[in-house]
Amino acid sequence: MDAHNIPNLNTLKTSRGRGGGLRSRALRLHQSGPYGEASKEAKDAIIQNTDQDAAQSRLSAVELGYLNDPFAKSFVQGPPVRRYPIINRGTYVRTTAIDHLIQRFLSASPSSQKQIISLGAGTDTRYFRLVKDNPDLRSTLIYHELDFPTTTIAKVSTVQRNTYLRSFLPSEPEFSSENSYMYTPTYNVHALDLRDLAIADPASLPNVRNLRRDIPTLLLSECCLIYLLPAVSTRIISSFTTHFLPTPVPLALVLYEPIHPHDPFGRIMVSNLSQRGIVLESLETFHDLDAQRKRLKDAGFDSGQEGRSVLESWRQWIVEEEKERVAGCEMVDEIEEWELLAGHYSICWGWRDGHDNEDLDVFSRAWKDLRQEG
Amino acid sequence: MSELDKAIEQLRACRPIPEPQVRELCHKARELLIEEGNVVGVDAPVTICGDIHGQFHDLMELFRVGGDVPDTNYLFMGDFVDRGFYSLESFLLLLCLKVRYPDRITLIRGNHESRQITTVYGFYDECLRKYGSANVWRYCCEVFDYLALGALVTGAASNLPPSSAPFADPATAANMASDTSDVEIEILNSAGQITNRFPRQRRSPHQPQQQAPQPNSQPSSSSQDADVDDAPPPDSQATLSPSPSQSQGTNQLPSQTGAPGTSASSGARSQNDGGAILCVHGGLSPLIDTLDKIRLLDRKQEVPHEGAMCDLLWSDPDEIDGWGLSPRGAGFLFGSDIVKCFNHKNGLSMVARAHQLVMEGFKEMFEAEVVTVWSAPNYCYRCGNVAAILELGEDGSGGGYVPKSNGDVGRSLGLGGWEGPVNGEMRRMGGPGRRYRVFEAAPQDSRGMPAKKPVADYFL
Repeated sequence: MDAHNIPNLNTLKTSRGRGGGLRSRALRLHQSGPYGEASKEAKDAIIQNTDQDAAQSRLSAVELGYLNDPFAKSFVQGPPVRRYPIINRGTYVRTTAIDHLIQRFLSASPSSQKQIISLGAGTDTRYFRLVKDNPDLRSTLIYHELDFPTTTIAKVSTVQRNTYLRSFLPSEPEFSSENSYMYTPTYNVHALDLRDLAIADPASLPNVRNLRRDIPTLLLSECCLIYLLPAVSTRIISSFTTHFLPTPVPLALVLYEPIHPHDPFGRIMVSNLSQRGIVLESLETFHDLDAQRKRLKDAGFDSGQEGRSVLESWRQWIVEEEKERVAGCEMVDEIEEWELLAGHYSICWGWRDGHDNEDLDVFSRAWKDLRQEG
Repeated sequence: MSELDKAIEQLRACRPIPEPQVRELCHKARELLIEEGNVVGVDAPVTICGDIHGQFHDLMELFRVGGDVPDTNYLFMGDFVDRGFYSLESFLLLLCLKVRYPDRITLIRGNHESRQITTVYGFYDECLRKYGSANVWRYCCEVFDYLALGALVTGAASNLPPSSAPFADPATAANMASDTSDVEIEILNSAGQITNRFPRQRRSPHQPQQQAPQPNSQPSSSSQDADVDDAPPPDSQATLSPSPSQSQGTNQLPSQTGAPGTSASSGARSQNDGGAILCVHGGLSPLIDTLDKIRLLDRKQEVPHEGAMCDLLWSDPDEIDGWGLSPRGAGFLFGSDIVKCFNHKNGLSMVARAHQLVMEGFKEMFEAEVVTVWSAPNYCYRCGNVAAILELGEDGSGGGYVPKSNGDVGRSLGLGGWEGPVNGEMRRMGGPGRRYRVFEAAPQDSRGMPAKKPVADYFL
């Protein structure tokens, strides 16, 4: 900024008229500034960078003892960053709550094969954690991760270099020449722009290698679909529900997303993130738990739709003993702020039971008494 | 212009002062603070402020809204540092003002004025970044150890003097124009306009419904509670409407027994006496039943992990009976029975405290026996809350306190603001008249760029 562009602060302070003056003009300028007319590539890069942000948060929570994840540090670029206690606690609750849903799914008729498709998985370590805890999953769980090529290259390269990570894979993977994807019979990382799945014509949909169309499947979106316009994310989900995994395959979707953009905290959240170039495209549409449940139902997950905030998950799913252990990791002074923040994130899940399938009601069995737990 | 005035100028411009000057400032401040008792005596009129948390530009906004030092007499209830990007400038400016105008500004300790907490929540890192070493952080921590643990405000008026401030909304003005004689609570926005006003005695059961006082009534519409469910329900009637029988007793109180030499508490209470107000950062402690027990603590140390000193800085009021465990891992939760008993025993009309974020800037609880004041708007540049400061007027009896004294030693012997049990109940006198000034975050443009790149404020 040139010196003559720096506004005189005193004039700003005295002319604080409603919606007028330099303040709103500055806002408009900003909106059309670095990100407002940014190229698609630049916007994508910003969203892709949110993955490193999440990886750093995961490592911070691991190093302070919130989470046990020996794989977290393998995927972090640069020196570790220590997060604030409420961010660590939030990372812990988010991870633990989704683990909880997945564990129940996997342990409902444990011997039969199941499939998980993680959308915008980034450097998520979940697959490695799952097979470390239960090596049998290397044969019974088919796992797919989908993400932008730039993100998958980083992940696949890391796996290729790291013998410790590779030791948990079911077999020696097939790596693409530029490391953008890797395949094994059960664990697969696909380089795929999710928007390529948002097309109506099934013939034009890309092929997802090793995808099984006959076993119960859980779709997972951890802060991924929210970056897409509602129409686009709805179409992507529809590609899975009607093309890749049509009825009668049992199918579920687990969403982790921010909610409540309209209260004071939510408005500041939207504004702060937009200043970093991050736009939560579908937040306005799927703005609370009810809207999320309706979204799941409308998308065809008609056997059940549930949702709770991260704050409710903390209160209702984490047993007292574990709460005490977590509280002991760090002193969390900012209780009110924690409640605000955790009240603005949701975990929602909906499912569609199958028919003509031995595991037809696997999701209902897995999750039926979760409501009582809450 | 003295070196100190130059330092104040520089800090007001949000520019740190050189390390040797910080060292000297901290040394002077310690000499001053060591003379203060654990409970500092403060005469009304005074403006009581809650957490600042390094939000320097919002502190400037606070001074714009509340008046400058030394024109306004300020009491800051701790948590000057951590979380915001300008803890250093904020704390050093307040400290300079303290050294320059020791009788016009009172600083008490918050739970963030601690070595351990500042290493987690940002102040340590900020000092390291701005000076390249931890020396300045160390000097500041030595000052923290000398900050008082509480303050006792006396000489506050029970009714606010008639104000000539304009009303924000002419319709409100029409309803309330005649009520200037006996105002208990007045709420103003940052432009100095009255947004709400509650008279002490005119409130009665047959009052029109639309005038029913709301503790959370706000000048702006921006302050709806976030959708987080467990905030205690606003106890509007209980909070802001003492029953007529409660307020009638004001002029028939028994005389107080004060310690010799403390003129404020000797003789009959004036009709306009709003009682004494204890100010602490957090709240009460199960180990403390009288003010004298606070006075006996050895405060010149790092905040301990438990015990009375820790509790005063960490506890929170809550809608419970008795004492409860705090989710913060330090201090306790205390219910209305605890506060009422403590206030009665110590002749207090109110406990003012900070420590908890409240979206509306202030929150009265337990029939106004506790008030939370929060002075960091849009806390952490993220929470979307407004901030408030609390002004208490003077009762006109001329308290005549000796500054820097250890509060009002011996007050706890008196009956204080209570009439004592009547028909098996304790009837409470009216508290002080309270003028809340509510303000929003300083305009973004006045902040400049943050001193460092913000960390992950959200889950992505």
